[in-house]
Amino acid sequence: MNLAANANTALYASMIVYTLAMLAFTWHLAARAPKVADSRAAADVVANEREDVLVGAGAPTPAERRSATPYAAGPDFEESLKSRQRGSIALMLTYLASALLVASVLMRGLAVGRPPWGNMFEFATAAAAAVGATYSLLARRNTWQWLGVFIVTPILLVLGLALTVLYTEAGELMPALKSYWLGIHVSVAFLAVAFFTLAFAVGLLYLVRVRREERPPAKPGFIESLPPSQSLERTAYSLNMVGFILWTFTLIAGAIWAKQAWGAYWQWDPKEVWTFVIWTVYAAYMHGRATAGVDHRKSMYIALAGYVAVLINFTLVNLVSTFVGMHNYSGM
Amino acid sequence: MSTDTNAATEKDSKGSKGSKDSKDSKGARGTERARKGMRPDRQEPTLPALGTVGMLRWGWRQLTSMRTALFLLLLLSIAAVPGSIFPQRNIDAGRVADYIAQNPTSSPWLDRFGFFDVYASPWFSAIYLLLFISLVGCIVPRTKVHLSALRSTPPRAPARLQRLDEHAELTTTLSPEEALAAARQVLRRKRFRLHSHDATSLSAESGYLRETGNLLFHLALTGIIIGMAVGHLLGWRGDIILAEGDRFASSAGTYNTISPGPWVDTESLPPFVLSLDKLHVEFNETPGRSFGTPRLFDAQTTLQSAPGAPASSENVSVNHPITVGGADIFLLGNGYTPVITVRDAKGSVLYREATPFLPQDGNYRSVGVIKVPSASPSQLGFTGFFLPTAEPTFTNGPVSIFPDTKNPEVALSVWEGNLFPGGAPQSVYTLNTDEMKQVTKADGSPALVRLKPGQTYQLPGDRGSITFDGVKRFAGLSVRTDPGAPISLVSAVLATLGLILGLTIKRRRVFVRVRPAAPGLAAGVEPGAADGADDADGRPTTVVTIGGLSKDSDSGLAAIVTAISTGVHDRLAERTDRS
Ligand code: HEM
Repeated sequence: MNLAANANTALYASMIVYTLAMLAFTWHLAARAPKVADSRAAADVVANEREDVLVGAGAPTPAERRSATPYAAGPDFEESLKSRQRGSIALMLTYLASALLVASVLMRGLAVGRPPWGNMFEFATAAAAAVGATYSLLARRNTWQWLGVFIVTPILLVLGLALTVLYTEAGELMPALKSYWLGIHVSVAFLAVAFFTLAFAVGLLYLVRVRREERPPAKPGFIESLPPSQSLERTAYSLNMVGFILWTFTLIAGAIWAKQAWGAYWQWDPKEVWTFVIWTVYAAYMHGRATAGVDHRKSMYIALAGYVAVLINFTLVNLVSTFVGMHNYSGM
Repeated sequence: MSTDTNAATEKDSKGSKGSKDSKDSKGARGTERARKGMRPDRQEPTLPALGTVGMLRWGWRQLTSMRTALFLLLLLSIAAVPGSIFPQRNIDAGRVADYIAQNPTSSPWLDRFGFFDVYASPWFSAIYLLLFISLVGCIVPRTKVHLSALRSTPPRAPARLQRLDEHAELTTTLSPEEALAAARQVLRRKRFRLHSHDATSLSAESGYLRETGNLLFHLALTGIIIGMAVGHLLGWRGDIILAEGDRFASSAGTYNTISPGPWVDTESLPPFVLSLDKLHVEFNETPGRSFGTPRLFDAQTTLQSAPGAPASSENVSVNHPITVGGADIFLLGNGYTPVITVRDAKGSVLYREATPFLPQDGNYRSVGVIKVPSASPSQLGFTGFFLPTAEPTFTNGPVSIFPDTKNPEVALSVWEGNLFPGGAPQSVYTLNTDEMKQVTKADGSPALVRLKPGQTYQLPGDRGSITFDGVKRFAGLSVRTDPGAPISLVSAVLATLGLILGLTIKRRRVFVRVRPAAPGLAAGVEPGAADGADDADGRPTTVVTIGGLSKDSDSGLAAIVTAISTGVHDRLAERTDRS
């Protein structure tokens, strides 16, 4: 059995299924927008007033307290049957596609007898698999069908790029990468990135949602069918929080590995610099969010900047020669 | 929370009732703050007469505020970036020199502002030192507050529990005491701390570990920094280039380079003896994108912990250092040492050594220098390249096309004159040609030496000969100690633990209040059959109000409120069963 060839077949198959899932999610969103009648009902729902006995960090800012908007997806928002069915179909397709992608990554790993992230191609596919799998595991419980298209589309983009630009025959690892700490360090990093990615998508939707809550458009769109901005913000926060914990672990495992490989756990090589930058930016986000008087929207901008740093870390730092340091193992 | 910046500002303006005649700019800001509606009722917005102590206090409070920490964190992340863009001296001084040579206009400025030494620059240090001070200044008061919070009782229930995040109200035929007891039981099982400020209410609080975790996290951050400082002060590293067959005896003078921390006594380095028996190296030979990439580096060595001590065979490879006398020995580099012999015109040997040439690229095109001070009439110097697999035509100059020794060759130019102008010490890898001139052949063209192993070149004009005898590999070994590393590691693990506690545990307060129901109301609110029957019996009915509050998004809070309601119902059911 040729595992490497099977891994490629599974990869192509997963891309086809992800494409179908993407279409289904779009189709689902098209059916989601609340009808104006729903919106009226929602307008009557008055936001709970909250008594701040436990004042301080975490209390909502006044701007967030007036969450009553013409079409907040409050308790009265009823998702249509059509929309729900389409959402389920899209989710099913996503499960299948993610399973295929994870299988592809595993088979590649077995084919080369090492963790399957020794070069940029493997790196990109493994990261995409982590995002797909994390979304698949969390989506149903949290009814995140609305998020699907914003996750599946970037996955497809990354896979497409991986195949066209980054493809490398599976080969052996460079000696510096032969360490089980690499396995730990990188797999946790992927998981962290998966959470940051979900949080990024939710964060962007949050920003759009608050804006439209403040200045409601004439006709409600699917944005108006999302959970209210406050709740989106909390979702993004929770996801970022998990990502941040995992990233902290990534940082530590990376330092341990660096100590074994190069004799010093920290020497500010570009990859380490960016891992650190990401960590401090997200720490700043956590702080901003916990500081009374800092608007949650401003904190969210910090988190988004953190994600930009994540992207830079996984692309430019691996590929561009200005960043060449000891981590240069991209195989390009 | 005590670190709430608003609270701090509030305290500020309260504490500033001083004399009215200080009219400095600080005061003006104070006025503005007061006008902005914090204290609209105050008659004369008095200016904070801060004085030196006050100013210091004010500054300290600003520095240790959470906003400042937030700002410094962002600043630190931005300040770290240039170090990944510009070459850094601590990583590769050679690349810095190249960069400076290529960018003669901008480089002096970049250098002046520390862009080639970002992580040792004053501005970077200033940011992290401020952050460190802020951190300590933050931990101490928070720990005090938290310690007293740990001993305090939950606060009195607010007047209107219906306004809390989660709330519920139910009517029961239990007596107020029984209802409270039921609620107490549920909350105790959920490990809440309980207190009754009066007979009709119950206050409960849980999640103290959140702040404990948070403090542990911040405290552990200081631990990491302390570990790094200890490593800097007490750690040292020394680098050696060791050719196959050579022996190295460790002492302060025998390392190629040694960088001890300020508090290291270089007389007490571990006195081990290490010889390199063989360096195994493999490169990928299958054509394709990864052609020529390294596959294996493994140094087979013989190690004695001190001269005369029993010898043992040890393998050092990438990711697998060996430890001796508290120091770790890492294999960090490798390359080639061509063995070169230089003879004078009479044939007697002037120089015979395995000379390390430093690799410049992935295919190990290596540069090196051979200095022959004993040559006469004037000293001789050779500089040039070693190519493990020479591209034979040299159309693009001396180039190597594969990292292993498939077609080794040296290509050298020849210089004569004064090797050491001014007697100044110089690197063994560079040739100072200030007082030297290139040796030419009879026709006036420069003499170029190209030799394969075993070949000899007769230098023009009776200057003798040079022979390339063969080539050995060398290992670049680094010996390092870092006594701070364990401190940092333990702290990092504690930080992660604290982070998990601090972020996942919820600080919750739950209040329960009971009051007698207004007559006739109970049946309407709670139309259960059993209750109705009891009510008809004329028993007193009780309204139980439950309110829960959490610091942040908390899906578990509703479940707790529900559990209390259920607890009250269950108690009633139990009693009905018994009666
Ligand atoms: C060295 C820099 C610092 C880093 C990396 C950092 C990081 C963090 C992180 C990640 C959190 C959220 C985690 C948690 O809630 O357990 C946090 C919370 C917090 N930090 Fe920091 N911090 C730093 C310095 C400071 C300083 C100087 C202060 C003092 C003003 C401070 C005060 C706080 C407070 C009060 C919280 C709790 C927020 C809450 O109630 O959830 N931190 N910090």
